Amino acid sequence: MDIGALLTTAGNLMLTGMVSVFVFLSLLIGAVTAMSRLVSKFAQPDLEAPQRTPSFKSQGVPNEHIAAISAAIAQYKKNNN
Amino acid sequence: MDSILNLWHATGIANFTFPGLIMIAVGCLLLFLAIAKNFEPLLLLPIGFGAILTNIPVAGLSDPGGLLYHVYYVGIDTGIFPLLIFMGVGALTDFSALIANPRMLLLGAAAQFGIFATLFGAILLNFIPGFEFSLQDASAIAIIGGADGPTAIFLASKLAPDLLGAIAVAAYSYMALVPIIQPPIMRAFTTSEERKIQMPELRKVSKKEKIIFPLMVLTLTAIFLPAAIPLVGMFCLGNLMRESGVVDRLSNSAQNEIINITTIFLGLAVGSKLAADQFLTVETLGILVLGALAFAIGTASGVFMAKGLNKISKTPINPLIGAAGVSAVPMAARVVNKVGLENNPHNFLLMHAMGPNVAGVLGSAVAAGILLALVG
Repeated sequence: MDIGALLTTAGNLMLTGMVSVFVFLSLLIGAVTAMSRLVSKFAQPDLEAPQRTPSFKSQGVPNEHIAAISAAIAQYKKNNN
Repeated sequence: MDSILNLWHATGIANFTFPGLIMIAVGCLLLFLAIAKNFEPLLLLPIGFGAILTNIPVAGLSDPGGLLYHVYYVGIDTGIFPLLIFMGVGALTDFSALIANPRMLLLGAAAQFGIFATLFGAILLNFIPGFEFSLQDASAIAIIGGADGPTAIFLASKLAPDLLGAIAVAAYSYMALVPIIQPPIMRAFTTSEERKIQMPELRKVSKKEKIIFPLMVLTLTAIFLPAAIPLVGMFCLGNLMRESGVVDRLSNSAQNEIINITTIFLGLAVGSKLAADQFLTVETLGILVLGALAFAIGTASGVFMAKGLNKISKTPINPLIGAAGVSAVPMAARVVNKVGLENNPHNFLLMHAMGPNVAGVLGSAVAAGILLALVG
């Protein structure tokens, strides 16, 4: 094959190659996004569990008190800024 | 008298050839780079030693029946060694950063332009007398731009076994040179303001997502690009062993013992391809030049893609992280972090750069699959 023909083939390969890489990885983006959404939908309790702070409960401080204290702190911060 | 003469003919001194000695010097240079300069020592040390062994006359380690001949035949000719390494890399890779921000895959895709542009460049070199690269040769050389050793060796063993030694040496040398090659290119194509951009913290990724991810990559590859399955399949196997959490023993073996043993023999086998008649050619020079070009183009196209994404994205994206799309895990991500810190001492980009970095590994495996499907 002469160089001219080879160059045309290489150019074609460059185009097809880049397009395929982008298409494939874009598909993967879609799939990952969809998967993450599905997982977070069906796994709500699993995700929220570690966010609670059981240490307060074990010390016997009622949730209402924590809420009241948090609100007070928030208001104090607001007033002082 | 005859026996003395025979003994003389069996010594190395009587049989050394000039090209053979040069190749032993090349082997010593690789050893020097590995030991004194710490350039990818895990690979360059066995490669350098293999190069010395294979060029020792009379011993015939690379002739049919010799040790290195068998190691090459078993491990590289069959493609098994690079695939075992890929399994280990899969077991070492944490995809959290990519799952948290999947758009980073686009950066991994953009950086593969280095591969395809170099393919074109390799064919262009044919205009210079002395170069005769076929499309297969050009593809195998271009994959150096994927900045991924096992992928480069795998593809070269399939498409251009004659050039394998030079391609592997170029690939690993340039990976060691990432901290020198990339920063000037990154600085040239970004403004100081862009380099200061801070990115929001990544969300936490659940274990379920991490387990599903390799299975999903495998499924998509099986559907759309089965030619990439050897690489992607082994990679996903390693990653699933890691993330599933139920086979820690296997995952640890893949990350440590298997990858280490394979590395020794992979290095030796690559070194055995550094024989004078195959390496001391003008084509090797061409491969070294093209390899550097592939790295540079890949880095630049990753940065440009990140700039583009930053313009259309709601959350800011620091263009520097595009440079990590060439893979070379984790070196490229560390380089991004370093260049980012130079401009803003509070801007830690490492985790953000890991996304495009591992996306680059997938991207190069996909590009290798495409090249195998179209050229192989």
